Amino acid sequence: MAEWTLMDRCCDKCWHTVEYPCKHFIRCTVEGPLCHESAECRVKRKRRIEELKYGKYGIKIKVPISSCTLAAGAKEVYDAVSKEVLSSGLNADITISGCMGLCYLDPWIELSKKGLPTAIYVNVKPGDVPKILKEYLSGDLSNAFALRADPEGIYKNYKVPLLNDLTLWSNQVRFVSRGCGVLNPESIEDYIISNGFRGLDKILNMHPKNVIEFVKKSGLRGRGGAGFPTWMKWEIAQSQVSDIKYFIVNADEGDPGAFMNRLLAESDPYRVIEGMIIGAYAVGASKGYIFVRAEKPLMADRLSKAVEEIRKYGLLGRNILGSGFSFDIEVILSAGAFVCGEETALISAIEGRTRPRQRPPYPATRGLWDKPTVINNVETVAHVATVFQVGVEEFTKYGTEKSKGTKMFCVTGCVSRTGAYEVPIGMSLSKLVYDLAGGPPDGKKVKAVQIGGPSGGCVPSNLLNTPVDYESLQSAGAIMGSGGVVVIDEDSCMVDVAKFFTSFTLAESCGKCFTCRVGMKLLYDILKNITEGKGSEEDLELLNELSDVIIGSSLCALGGTAPNPIKSTLRYFRDEYVAHIKDRKCPAKVCPNLVEYWIDPAKCVGCGLCVKACPTNFITGERGKPHSIDPSKCIRCSQCFITCPQGAVIKR
Amino acid sequence: MVKLYINNKEVQVEAASTLLDAIVRAGFKVPTLCYLKDMFNEATCRVCIVELSGGRLVPSCSYPASEGLRVLTDSERVLKYRRAIVEMILASHKIKCQSCSMKGGYCQLLKLSKEFGVEGIPVCAECPLYGSECLLNLGIACLGPVTIAGCDAICTKERSPCIGCRGPASPDDVLEEGIKTFIKYKINIDEVVGISELFWGSNPLTQTIRKLFTNLHEGGRV
Repeated sequence: MAEWTLMDRCCDKCWHTVEYPCKHFIRCTVEGPLCHESAECRVKRKRRIEELKYGKYGIKIKVPISSCTLAAGAKEVYDAVSKEVLSSGLNADITISGCMGLCYLDPWIELSKKGLPTAIYVNVKPGDVPKILKEYLSGDLSNAFALRADPEGIYKNYKVPLLNDLTLWSNQVRFVSRGCGVLNPESIEDYIISNGFRGLDKILNMHPKNVIEFVKKSGLRGRGGAGFPTWMKWEIAQSQVSDIKYFIVNADEGDPGAFMNRLLAESDPYRVIEGMIIGAYAVGASKGYIFVRAEKPLMADRLSKAVEEIRKYGLLGRNILGSGFSFDIEVILSAGAFVCGEETALISAIEGRTRPRQRPPYPATRGLWDKPTVINNVETVAHVATVFQVGVEEFTKYGTEKSKGTKMFCVTGCVSRTGAYEVPIGMSLSKLVYDLAGGPPDGKKVKAVQIGGPSGGCVPSNLLNTPVDYESLQSAGAIMGSGGVVVIDEDSCMVDVAKFFTSFTLAESCGKCFTCRVGMKLLYDILKNITEGKGSEEDLELLNELSDVIIGSSLCALGGTAPNPIKSTLRYFRDEYVAHIKDRKCPAKVCPNLVEYWIDPAKCVGCGLCVKACPTNFITGERGKPHSIDPSKCIRCSQCFITCPQGAVIKR
Repeated sequence: MVKLYINNKEVQVEAASTLLDAIVRAGFKVPTLCYLKDMFNEATCRVCIVELSGGRLVPSCSYPASEGLRVLTDSERVLKYRRAIVEMILASHKIKCQSCSMKGGYCQLLKLSKEFGVEGIPVCAECPLYGSECLLNLGIACLGPVTIAGCDAICTKERSPCIGCRGPASPDDVLEEGIKTFIKYKINIDEVVGISELFWGSNPLTQTIRKLFTNLHEGGRV
């Protein structure tokens, strides 16, 4: 027989079944039993909660399993941990957890034992596992990275910092990501003992209008990019008269450099689904879809498992907890087109087609199969669930006048601490880049920060004190987007960056409307000419005008924002464009056609490695004497530059 | 019925109509390309864009008419953007009017390029409109393949060859296509250049034509 869990009945006095549910079921699982008084049942539940928190034998080993940690080798670490526990005969529970967002520390493991503070070990290699286990169990924590907060205060005896005291953690507000890296993403019990499903419990006794009122009070705005107030979208859909309404969660995250939706859905899938049920209840939707990228199989897998699990316990399906409200969810795999992040294209994709359509009518009035449809982003629905769990005050404490709460940002690029950080809206960009992400490694300077992916823009380093909120970023020429922050250092050419993003949107354009299909190609050709040293001065004006036309007259948001990287780089880095066109030089020495390779005779020792590396054999020189490159025949492949042990090959 | 204002003129249309219906009812014109009434209104070509009072540009063929909307069909911005869109369409359009099965009479692109003065379509596209016989076929040096359209092919209608008075159809691929036509009909290029010098005398494009001609001949690409 399977193990007794919190979701099961405690004794025969409990009459709860999925068919005839008890409306106190959610609270009863943790605080129960509520309908009868029995010390035995109470102890049974308490013991189970203890077990979940500290493990059956008092020792618990957590290994994070999510796409990012797996890529860093977490599977091998997990295997090594199980092998070690088995071979040493240790009585310990090994559980999986989600990712806590600090990607540069992957893979990490968390060890806890009664009487010892919970310790986190980072960058673990499978070979280190036996040593780490032995050290920790003997009470030597000196090699741990940090300690989790510990109510008993025993951590003071150890010289290891608390996670909460590290700048990268103390500057964060873990609101929606509170469960990431803490909870077991495949265990509904873990979620329910950490205040899970309390939002659902609350709203089933409320009128849908009051639910929307509650969200309005919180001031939550869509976290997908445009920042449209969530309550407004819901209210429009709620006021429509229709036999069926749909609620879609957009988990088709495609921005290069953004992964917070994957992180949330992989590490805390139940939160996403709870938020979805709350939203569906508010708008009166009876069918829900989660639109997941097929390229993120673990995310789809975890979400499908969670949906099944929740359905099994009657929190999804017909007549949820006897409230008369029915809702079911289907997880749909997308084929991975960037344009499907656009609302109407997403709807088309579910219907079996692929292209966006002209708005209005907006999906909230006529969406999927011409029925009212609400589309929210993963982070938005996770926020909804958390706001209902902890209350509005906790949420509105953070943020600015116009946008409340917190937002997750994925900081990547030239920073030493790559990761996903959740910060209050309105924090300055520099704090995000330097205090949290640690700034560029090896003392380089930040040149610009690209926010919002291919639809966003570049903010130059002198504007880094811009607060991250919807309005400030917009006026700086970028957008919040889904929250991808790519830090660009001095070694990057801004024209090349603009070209990269243009090539991305060019490839991802669905080709339906002329302005995006043809316009992006024209823009790309102009940029390509400039980076190859064939640009002319009129090109800059042309770039600007063409961008305006594409932004003004494209069909969907993809075309309407695609020229943003070009516009913002033109605005802040015009001198780089001019250098490419007038001086035929690339200031950052990136564009191959505008760079000349030259061997410094003072540094060259004549080892001859560059001669071997050169694919065209145009480096000449005797052994032991300085070599030289024939500039007219050099193909600028940079092989000599990479090979030279003396650093004598110089780009100029 | 909803009441809205097209270029400040009040007009009433049925509730389910589009802006285009209202514009037509009000007696104004907006060019369309991809739109086919009741069959296709996916708004892909974007040439029917109009400006709403807030400054937003929307395609009139699919935007629903709503109460109190103020629409401008030919504001400066609309015309500028519309011209840019026609330019974009032409930039991606293979100009092979001599061999196009549409023949000039039905070519909407020709009408648009004429309306906005976008260069790129040669006079040849207009000839079939009036059933004129191709003069190149008779061995007469006619500049039709390399001259900008827009004159309603008035000369060839009278069986007189085109002398290029409207200037060269500037994009290189159009010129190249035209010169290929000359070669096909065995027209003497010196004669062509001689005629073109009358109007394009100072234009470096005459040289381009000659260069293209020799390139094509020597490269054996014809």
